[in-house]
Amino acid sequence: MADGRSFNVKLFIYDLSKGLARQLSPMMLGKQVEGIWHTSIVVYGEEFFFGGGGILSCFPGGTILGMSDSTVDLGNTEVPRDLFQEYLSSLRESTYRPEKYHLFEHNCNTFSSEVAQFLTGTKIPSYITDFPSEVLATPFGQALRPFLDSVTITPSGDNGMNGYGQW
Amino acid sequence: MAENSGTDPAVETNTEENAAASATIIKVTVKTPKDKEEIAIAEDSSVAQFKEEISKRFKAKQDQLVLIFAGKILKDGDTLGQHGIKDGLTVHLVIKTAQKSSSGSSQTSASSGPGPSQGNTAETANPSPASNLGTPEGSGPSPTPTQPPNILAGFGDLSGLGNLGMGSANFMELQQQMQRQLMSNPEMLSQIMENPLVQSMMSNPDLMRQMIVFLYSNFNILFLLVKTMELARNPAMMQEMMRNQDRALSNLESIPGGYNALRRMYTDIQEPMFSAAREQFGNNPFSALGGNTDNSGVQPSRTENREPLPNPWGPPDTTTATTTSGTASTTSSTTSSTTPSVSNPLGISSSSLGNGMFNSPGMQSLMQQISENPQLMQNMLSAPYMRTMMQSLSQNPDIASQVFMNNPLFAGNPQLQEQMRQQLPVFLQQMQNPESLSVMTNPRAMRALMQIQEGLQTLQTEAPGLMPSLIPGGMAAGIPGAPLPTGVNVTPENPPPSGQGPAPAPAPTPTAGTNTAQQQLMQQMLQMFAGGNASTPTPEVRFQQQLEQLSAMGFINGEANLQALIATGGDINAAIERLLGSQPS
Repeated sequence: MADGRSFNVKLFIYDLSKGLARQLSPMMLGKQVEGIWHTSIVVYGEEFFFGGGGILSCFPGGTILGMSDSTVDLGNTEVPRDLFQEYLSSLRESTYRPEKYHLFEHNCNTFSSEVAQFLTGTKIPSYITDFPSEVLATPFGQALRPFLDSVTITPSGDNGMNGYGQW
Repeated sequence: MAENSGTDPAVETNTEENAAASATIIKVTVKTPKDKEEIAIAEDSSVAQFKEEISKRFKAKQDQLVLIFAGKILKDGDTLGQHGIKDGLTVHLVIKTAQKSSSGSSQTSASSGPGPSQGNTAETANPSPASNLGTPEGSGPSPTPTQPPNILAGFGDLSGLGNLGMGSANFMELQQQMQRQLMSNPEMLSQIMENPLVQSMMSNPDLMRQMIVFLYSNFNILFLLVKTMELARNPAMMQEMMRNQDRALSNLESIPGGYNALRRMYTDIQEPMFSAAREQFGNNPFSALGGNTDNSGVQPSRTENREPLPNPWGPPDTTTATTTSGTASTTSSTTSSTTPSVSNPLGISSSSLGNGMFNSPGMQSLMQQISENPQLMQNMLSAPYMRTMMQSLSQNPDIASQVFMNNPLFAGNPQLQEQMRQQLPVFLQQMQNPESLSVMTNPRAMRALMQIQEGLQTLQTEAPGLMPSLIPGGMAAGIPGAPLPTGVNVTPENPPPSGQGPAPAPAPTPTAGTNTAQQQLMQQMLQMFAGGNASTPTPEVRFQQQLEQLSAMGFINGEANLQALIATGGDINAAIERLLGSQPS
């Protein structure tokens, strides 16, 4: 089964606010937040992430977010690609179905964290996984919560930005 | 290799465990994508033994089990200790099904063998088409013979894809697959299009609809976010956007039921935000006021700008009128905050201003925050676009008047409108006046103003006869001095005779009417407070036009005319009634 090859696993970190969170967060949230983080796992030459469309993949840096703002090397894994695909497919049917997406509680970072654990046994940096609870802890976050419950973020590998927002 | 084929009953296991009883039993959590179980096993067991336990617990064959720990695949011959598996740690498990689908959702079978597997589940199909196309990763041969024929076999080289469409109920995956493939191989697109099956697919409206929905739902949110960020950076663009939004919202209002929807939207969104903001805001208390989630971070500056905060003693009527109506509207229903209207950037501001600012009892805390943080005000006022805005407002009184007029607060009260229109240039000038700015930014000055207001309130309750009309009930919001001049100018026009204006405004006001002398006194006081602002017109000047009209009508008593006009705030008709009322005829 294991053919002894090892594959490098990286974590791509994107700041969705492109720096604005760092500037505006003290005002809006009352505390300093460095960014609005979106992450994805890059392995086998592909980038995997979880969004409103479920678990998706593209070539690294291929979403509309472009290249990541920062990268963390998570180490290597022996898990071969097919095994990983199987793993992903079971995830897809269970805990990472598209409708399970929740902006704060079960989002791309949850997925990245779990996959990172599976592949390498290491966790992703805690500031990413702690982010939602930090925001939710502010009154601002609490007030926005009902609205956010309906929001999903799915950067796709395609460039079809149509439509404005959905209210 | 597993010595125990896992088919033996517990006996063997027990034996093992007993044998290992001398060693420590550790509890290891075994986690699958769907499941999690805690398994007790001897510390020095081999992986094979571990798998045996697992196979029992998970009801799978040992061959199907793949254990992963710390990124390594656990081979049967290894021991747990070798990999550092200790008590309380988690090992990942993937159960390979014969068809390579853990949950059996896939339909096609494929060789469950070596590395790059053939397309089975929608997922594993990833590598297979790739390999079919000869991309670097794929090294697998064409689909194994075990694959049952499927409709998409017609794709030829793309038969790997065939598993996707039929196997997985997840349309999204199909979508994604195709995207990726397309990107990696442009010719594929033409191949696909030529395929008759694809063409029939395209002509299937449901399918197409799904695709479109999928595309749409993914992007708009992110797009919105990005747009918002951009807006925050670029105020000019934001104004443009606000205008568009205003227009759109105004349109919305004209739809039957639309007005209510808007109002609801406002109440649902803005109020909670405002209350949240109130607690939260050390720095920017107005952030939530925009009534607009996205732009709340920046827009408030503009909202705040037009707020009576700026020198309330100044060309007071404008500001105070705003305030009065504002607070008055507290009692009246919450008019739509976003109605504002006419594509002017302050549209939303003024209405949300009226509603947001005064609806909430938080006004007081707001004021406190403002007074505690003078820097904030200064910052807000000196924001470059604020300056520009104010300048353009003062240069173009039409816009400014539009702004005010369109504020639903004033809609029902022509008196206010009139006043404000007159006061507008003055008001705007004042805003530019650095002195008034410094008043606003001076916490002590603000506090003094608040004290004055409180004093007046006390005065009113203690000696109602003295300042009868001064402070309408709803004014307790704590706006420094706001109610005062309001009482002077606005109230007199609100007594029953005039019969206009929103009910709430006059309601709390004790009838004042007749103490014009006192009102004049107050006005002069106010003008004094305005300090350095000589541009407040006297009543004579303000009402000159009306005076002329009155005298033309035959009311020759200029003095009485003037007083009547002052009392009614410039409303000729009301003034006439007043004059007539005083002359029994």
